[in-house]
Order: sequence, then structure tokens, then C-alpha cells
Amino acid sequence: MGTPTAVIADDEPLLRAQLRTRLAKLWPELAVVHEMENGRDIEQVIATYDPRLFFLDIHMPGVNGLEAARAIGKRAHVVFVTAFDQYAVEAFEQGAVDYVLKPFNEDRLANTVDRLRERLTGAPAAMDDLVERLAGRLAPRVAEHLRWIKASVGQSVRLIPVEEILFFQSDEKYTRVVTADSEVLIRKPIKELLDELDPDKFWQVHRATIVNVDAIAAVRRGLKDQAEIALKGHRETLLVSRNFTHLFKQM
Amino acid sequence: MNRLAYLFEGLTLKRVLLVSILCVWAAAATVWFFANTYLDLLVSSLCVGYTSMVLFTAATNLRQRRLPRWAVQVLSIVVGSFLGTLLAGIVKGRDLAGMFTERFYGVLITMGLGIGFGAMAVWVYVFRERELRHEAELARARAERVQLEKNVLQAQLALMQAQVEPHFLFNTLANVQHLVETDPPSASRMLESLIQYLRAALPRMREDATTVGREADMAKAFLDIHRMRMGSRLDYVLAVPEALRCRPFPPMMLISLVENAIKHGVDPCCEAGTITITASEGDGRLRFSVADTGQGISCKKGTGVGLTNIRERLKALYGSGARLVIEENVPHGVVATIEVDDLVAADPVAPSKARCCA
Repeated sequence: MGTPTAVIADDEPLLRAQLRTRLAKLWPELAVVHEMENGRDIEQVIATYDPRLFFLDIHMPGVNGLEAARAIGKRAHVVFVTAFDQYAVEAFEQGAVDYVLKPFNEDRLANTVDRLRERLTGAPAAMDDLVERLAGRLAPRVAEHLRWIKASVGQSVRLIPVEEILFFQSDEKYTRVVTADSEVLIRKPIKELLDELDPDKFWQVHRATIVNVDAIAAVRRGLKDQAEIALKGHRETLLVSRNFTHLFKQM
Repeated sequence: MNRLAYLFEGLTLKRVLLVSILCVWAAAATVWFFANTYLDLLVSSLCVGYTSMVLFTAATNLRQRRLPRWAVQVLSIVVGSFLGTLLAGIVKGRDLAGMFTERFYGVLITMGLGIGFGAMAVWVYVFRERELRHEAELARARAERVQLEKNVLQAQLALMQAQVEPHFLFNTLANVQHLVETDPPSASRMLESLIQYLRAALPRMREDATTVGREADMAKAFLDIHRMRMGSRLDYVLAVPEALRCRPFPPMMLISLVENAIKHGVDPCCEAGTITITASEGDGRLRFSVADTGQGISCKKGTGVGLTNIRERLKALYGSGARLVIEENVPHGVVATIEVDDLVAADPVAPSKARCCA
């Protein structure tokens, strides 16, 4: 079977060095053939070194440990390294996956090494389910909606979080972006904004107007049966055109 | 028909009952002055009362812009009294033509009484309406205040949890553990920074305000730890003028911005990054900013709890006298600035217990 080989991935150089020295003491015949700063280039590493074992830190910038484990699949054994992840530790225990906690505890690491020696004789276990579940938990998938609006203010580009925005209103070739204490103009038309904003939080109420639902203080009936929106913390009222009155029909 | 239904909104059983009672009373109150029987007067008063009520309701709801609403309401009472009087004539089987000739005087009296009592009823109605509106406004203001208090409480809770992130603590300790064996002087330096950071971070939750200088020192300790951990990838510049160090500043906001800068600004791109912390004063406001040279904010990336938390707390402390401004750095990265107007800085809404560092 030859010498067992391993790759260590951790974004902190000192922690990589620490794991390497500990392993050298506990498992002298293990050869650490490569070190990585994050989970990128897994394919290349496997092609070059073909390690039997990966030590993966879960939190790494760029490609994290879980994503790396997914890329590795059943081509190598994986041991997760983590500083503090309640969820992850629980999941590892249930899924009988090996993990190491930072800061390292000598006895625990020795136990893990013993188990790994045994496990290396068999084929790597599939852990897709576990990894998927954890990945969902650690980095909940957020819908790809617009979260910031970039607007030029004087010399600089200001970033306005969408939660702050009361409404968007088209004004000939620009779009007015109105917050409680400021107003800026952007070039992005209402139509494009509508495609990118979270439809649960921003409603189109008029051909020219998108309103932040959270900013609505009241909806009143105005002239000619047309509804009017009063806003929180702003004097302006917004007209609701007939096509959109259904949004405010009483429940 | 449905299109006109809105005109009669508010025509409730309660209103009909109140008008009926008023009519019964009005007939009783006037029976002494006329030769007519009480029943005769009651029929007249009910006819005038109901007609005016229906017209007044419609006038109140009518959507038009030509006349002010009060004018339409007055008109509705006059017309209602006239039509009501006519209706009473029909009900009593009188000759309608005679009402405009020999009995015209009587008709005028009935109308006049109708207008008089109508005006009284409307006056009470308007008064009640204003009172209700006032009450609703009060209730809304109260609800808003409760919401604000809740937000502040939540922000404080999040702040306490964010105080010392376990992940940060354990990773730092793992580094110290390694350095103790391999490079004891560095281990000692890192421990020193950690102690300095913890000393600054831990008592903060009990205070509402601290100073620019103390917040800057805490950020420095935090950055020192990260610089040692991340090796050559992180660099920082601290530009805090001595004169501004004693100025009061809310706690744990700067460190949130620094944390963000490391997490979103420097960490994701594997190249080196620089974080610049600047305190400055001008245009009557104090500015404390954190700039990074990272990838910048993607328009679709979350704003994080941290920034919302800072905004909530600034609002709770200073109202509109302070703000968090996020801008793009040049050539890349983000600048986050907390601005506090001098006027409110000296006297925040919440009581301040700032001590000067001197």
C-alpha cells in the first residue's frame, strides 16, 4: 500500500504548520505532500499528488472546506478541521465523519489518527448527504436579489442598502431613489430594477413606481377610486394605478 | 350599482338609530310651539332627518375636487331638509302644489328646523371624527415607539453575542498554542493583543458610550491579531488624530466595520489587503471610517446583520443626527463611515456615560 499521503488546507499558515508538526509526531509515516490556503484547485492537487487523505478547514476564503469535500468526492478520505461550529460538530458525530477541533487536543488528535490508520485501508466513504446538509446550514443559500444600489454622489459612489429605500420612481431618463433622509438619481430603469429586486419586499404599484412594502404606512382611497400610499417617515404619497390595486384589496 | 356603493359607506345601523333618537327628541322639543300633533311633527322630523342623513353620508364620501368637502356637506343638509320636507308632505298625503303657495311659510319652518338640528348633529359628528383621528394617531405613534424600542433591544442582544466571536477566540488560541512551541516571543505578543482586545471588548456591553481613542485601540489589537494570523496578507493604517481621541463615540461600531472589512474586504481575495482607519472632523461632524482594498461589494450580496445593527443603534442614540455611509473605495474596495453631528454628539438621546481618556 505504500506510504500514506495527506494534503492540509487551512487559510492560516501557523495553523497549517501546527497540524503538520502534530501529525509528524503522532503519525511519523504519514507524508504531508502539499498545503493549500483554500479549497481551490482541488482537481490539480489530486492530479499532481493523488493524496489518500485531506485535512480541510471548514472556514476558508474563496472555496471553503465543504465545497472542497464535495469536489473531492470519493477520491480521498476527508478529515474536517474546525475551530467552533456547533452544527458541524453535531453533524459529524451523527455522520461518523472524522473531524479535529482547533486548538488541538493531543489525545483527541491521537484517537483520530488511530481511526484514520484503520480507515485508510478501505475505500473513502461517500458523504455527499452530510456535506450538502452542512453546506446549506453554514451558508444558507440566499436568493440572488439586488441588495445594494450604487449611486454617484458628488465625487464618490455611494452604496445604499435596499432596506433603506422607501421607493423608486422613474423621472424621465433617470430613476429617483428615495430614502428617509436622502434622494439620489440612478440610470437603471424601473423595469430592470423590478427584475432584480426581491418581489416579496418590493412591489410595483404604478408604471413608474416601485415601493418598499416595509415602508408603507397606510393605503388610502384617493380621488377617482384610485388608491394612494402614505409612507413611513416621508411626506410624499404614491399613486397606485388601477392595474395594481389588487395588491391592496382587503384580505 | 356597485360603483356607487362607496357613497353609502358609514351608513351604519348605529347612525340610523342616533338620527332616529334625535328626530324623536326634536319632534318632542318643538311640539309646544306648533298647533300640529306630535305624530305629525314626528313624521316630518323623521323624513327630514333620514333624507339629510343619507345625503350627508353621500356628500362625505363623494370623490370630487371642485368644491371643498365642507361645502358639499352643508349643501347636503340644506337639500336634504328641503327634500325631506317634500317627502313628509307626500307621506301625509298633502297637496304638493299647495306647499309652495299657502303653506310655503310652514315648509320654510320645517326646512329651517331640519337645517338647525342637522347642523347640530354634524357638529357632533365632526367633533367625534377628529377625536377618533387623534386617537388613531396616538396609537400609531405608540406602536412606532414600541417597535423602535424592540429594535434597539434586538440590536443590543446581537451586539452582546457578537462581542467575542467564539470562532475568532478559538482560532486565535490555536495560533497561540502553536507559537508557544515554535516562537515564544510571537506567542507572547499575540496573547498580549488578545488580552488587550478582550479587556476592551468585554465590559462594553454595559456602556452606552466610549471614546474614539478607546475604540481605535481596540480595533488596533483586533487587527494585530489578524495580521499575525493571516501572515503577509493583511496590512493596516491607523490615522486617528490625538485631538479626537477623547471625543465620545458609541461602542462596538468601529470594530463591526473592521470585522466586515476583514471578512468581506480582505479575506475572500487571496491577495494582500490594506485596512485604513481614519478619524476626522469637519462641516460640524465627526467621521470615523474604515476603508479596505478588497473586491468591493457585489450588488447582490447581503448587507449582513452588522450594518443594520449599527444603523438601528445610531438611530436610537442620535435620531437623524448620525448616519452610516457606505461608499466605493478607489480603485477598489469599500469605505464605511460613521458620521455623528457635533450637535448631537455632545448630547445623545440616550444617556451617555463616556469617560475621557485623559
